[in-house]
Amino acid sequence: MIEVEELRKEYGDLVAVDGVSFTAQGGAVFGLLGPNGAGKTTTIGCISGLRQPTAGRVRVMGHDVVFEGPASRARLGVVPQDLALYEELSATENLLYWASAYGLRGAALKKRITESLEVTGLLDRAREPVKRFSGGMKRRLNFACGIVHEPQVLLLDEPTVGVDPQSRVRLQELVKAQAAAGTCVLYTTHYMEEAETLCDRLAIVDHGKLIAQGSLNELRAMLGERDLLRLSGRFPSEAQIAAALAGVEGAEIVQAEEGSLIVAAPQASRELPALLAALTRVGAEVWETTMTRPSLETLFIKLTGKELRE
Amino acid sequence: MRYVWAAALKDIRRRLRDPLALLIWLGIPFVILALLSLVFRGGEISPQARLLVVDQDDSMVSGLLVGVFAQGDMAQLVQAEEVSEEEGRRRIDEGDGSALLIIPEQFGNAVLTSQPTRLTLLTNPSQSILPSILEEILSLLVDAVFYLQRLAGEPLAAFASGPPEGAAGFSDPFIAATSIEINQLMTSLTEYLNPPRLDVSIEIEESEEHKSLNLGALFFQSMFFLAILFAAQGMSDDVWVEHRLGTLRRALTLPPGVGGFLAGKLLAGFLLMLAMAVAGISAGAAIYGFPAANVAPSALWAATSGMALLVLFLLLQLFATSQRAGSILSTLVLFPMMMLGGTFFPFEAMPGWMAAIGRRMPNGWALERLKELLSGSATAETMLPATAALLATLVVGTWLAARRLRGGFVGR
Ligand SMILES: Nc1ncnc2c1ncn2[C@@H]1O[C@H](COP(=O)(O)OP(=O)(O)O)[C@@H](O)[C@H]1O
Ligand SMILES: [Mg+2]
Repeated sequence: MIEVEELRKEYGDLVAVDGVSFTAQGGAVFGLLGPNGAGKTTTIGCISGLRQPTAGRVRVMGHDVVFEGPASRARLGVVPQDLALYEELSATENLLYWASAYGLRGAALKKRITESLEVTGLLDRAREPVKRFSGGMKRRLNFACGIVHEPQVLLLDEPTVGVDPQSRVRLQELVKAQAAAGTCVLYTTHYMEEAETLCDRLAIVDHGKLIAQGSLNELRAMLGERDLLRLSGRFPSEAQIAAALAGVEGAEIVQAEEGSLIVAAPQASRELPALLAALTRVGAEVWETTMTRPSLETLFIKLTGKELRE
Repeated sequence: MRYVWAAALKDIRRRLRDPLALLIWLGIPFVILALLSLVFRGGEISPQARLLVVDQDDSMVSGLLVGVFAQGDMAQLVQAEEVSEEEGRRRIDEGDGSALLIIPEQFGNAVLTSQPTRLTLLTNPSQSILPSILEEILSLLVDAVFYLQRLAGEPLAAFASGPPEGAAGFSDPFIAATSIEINQLMTSLTEYLNPPRLDVSIEIEESEEHKSLNLGALFFQSMFFLAILFAAQGMSDDVWVEHRLGTLRRALTLPPGVGGFLAGKLLAGFLLMLAMAVAGISAGAAIYGFPAANVAPSALWAATSGMALLVLFLLLQLFATSQRAGSILSTLVLFPMMMLGGTFFPFEAMPGWMAAIGRRMPNGWALERLKELLSGSATAETMLPATAALLATLVVGTWLAARRLRGGFVGR
């Protein structure tokens, strides 16, 4: 279990994490979803003991990361965003080194190394220097180094970035298997679909702030089952649009910019003609319309007024 | 502790997978040493000891003593120069000259009358081999004087004290008797003057060999420690490599934390340098004749001081803003250390003031202790405080490095 309370981390003037609180339980994948620079890596760093929180509390399996550093770190497995491998050493030698830090030894150590290589599909390349591995293989070994000691809590920082689709699917299966075995998994990503398919609970972060959290269903409910309409064309002022849309039931402006407009509306497909008619009446010219079903993406746009892109 | 071993093992493995650096650290000093020994085997640049002599006696005996240094093979090794006491002392203090010999007034008389007398030899502290050669030669001469006194003491004393009171001169029977005695003495003296103890040329040959041995040993010590210095500087940038690999960040999330990480790095450095030291010093002992019993303590000292040098270079790297800056900074520090600290030019070949600076540099200081250990002249009185100072440097340096590593360094 990970308990994060009012976590704050500043780098000089920059507030990278601003009062974030959440609890991740064992046996489930907790997702931290947010765009680049949202503060995900910094949050993971504060949990793993790499960074000193400016304020707030973090506990791992009940151990405070600041006051009981070694005890909390002993329960963690960390898979960093960037690879952390010795290129000259073999996969086995890498695993041997990382596992030794958790007190594994002898036959148990050997067994765990073999198991980790097996689940990540690297057993037949175990003795080769890592520098000969493909990117996907390195990612999998990076993962194996984080789970070789069977941690109670696993921190994964965007483990699928830059990974080929095949390795990505394999990694996601590995993560699910870890959670199924009872591990508490914290998973950060900026991929919506990944968060939707993988995570049992989610926290959405932006600019260091936690803007929503809950299960997927809870988060969907926040959208009120409204669809999202993206329109491009030429539009009058936001006030005029708002006045025009007042006649359309449940319609709400999410974002209004020069040349583009995002509107949330229940059952947008049925209301579309009325909506377009209302816009035309105030002088708008619509060239293109796209409609999206409710998703994390739409929730993110609704909450932050911007799209979640790399 | 298990982790520290595993961490050290992983670093040693990485080093051995890419042995080029190791070869360079060992290779450059080895090549220099080979070149130097070639040059010195030719014997063209054999250094001369400059002996400053203050002859306050100015007798025939003292003249003979000074003359010994100006004869035959000895003249090639020693250049004697007569000076006033004031000038002699000043020049020795300035490091000009290998030794100052002071022959006191009444020295000749004392020798002839078997009175106790004392020769003073001041040696230049910044040179170690040449003054000790002079010391040896002088003690040889003093031995000779001792034998001369023992054998010819009585008749010489009789001459020295002059004719009996009231007499105009020595009586004929006295002269006859003394002549016979002296004749006998000369016969027996040749026995002592010719045997090796007084045969200056034989002794000098031995000294010459001794000297070249010591010169080789001197350069060997310098070049060996140069390899240690190179290794320490070369290994220090591994923190940047691990920073780039991302392994440093992951290591800090391990239960042993930054302390375990640093301990592993230092242990790896220690073990590699210990291997270098055991191999190098064993070879040196075989070639230059250091006592075998001195190899183990010397190697241990060399590896431990190498580890302390590694910590110092590590600190430079950690406070640099980039790997490039770190490598420039550590090289800027390495060069004066190497040149002045006795690890390139031996102190014995430096002007006194320069050697005095060099001996105060970390590597120069450690090298001096290493030489003492190798030659067997180290005592508990000097080594205990030196070891304490070394360990204190290690502890404080490691603590600072851990703070910096945990703080600003990894945050980049
Ligand atoms: N070491 C650092 N020093 C200063 N600013 C940093 C540092 N690391 C991250 N930041 C800044 O903190 C913010 C959050 O970064 P990060 O936690 O890496 O976000 P994410 O992982 O969600 O992309 C960003 O604005 C980033 O530029
Ligand atoms: Mg990140």
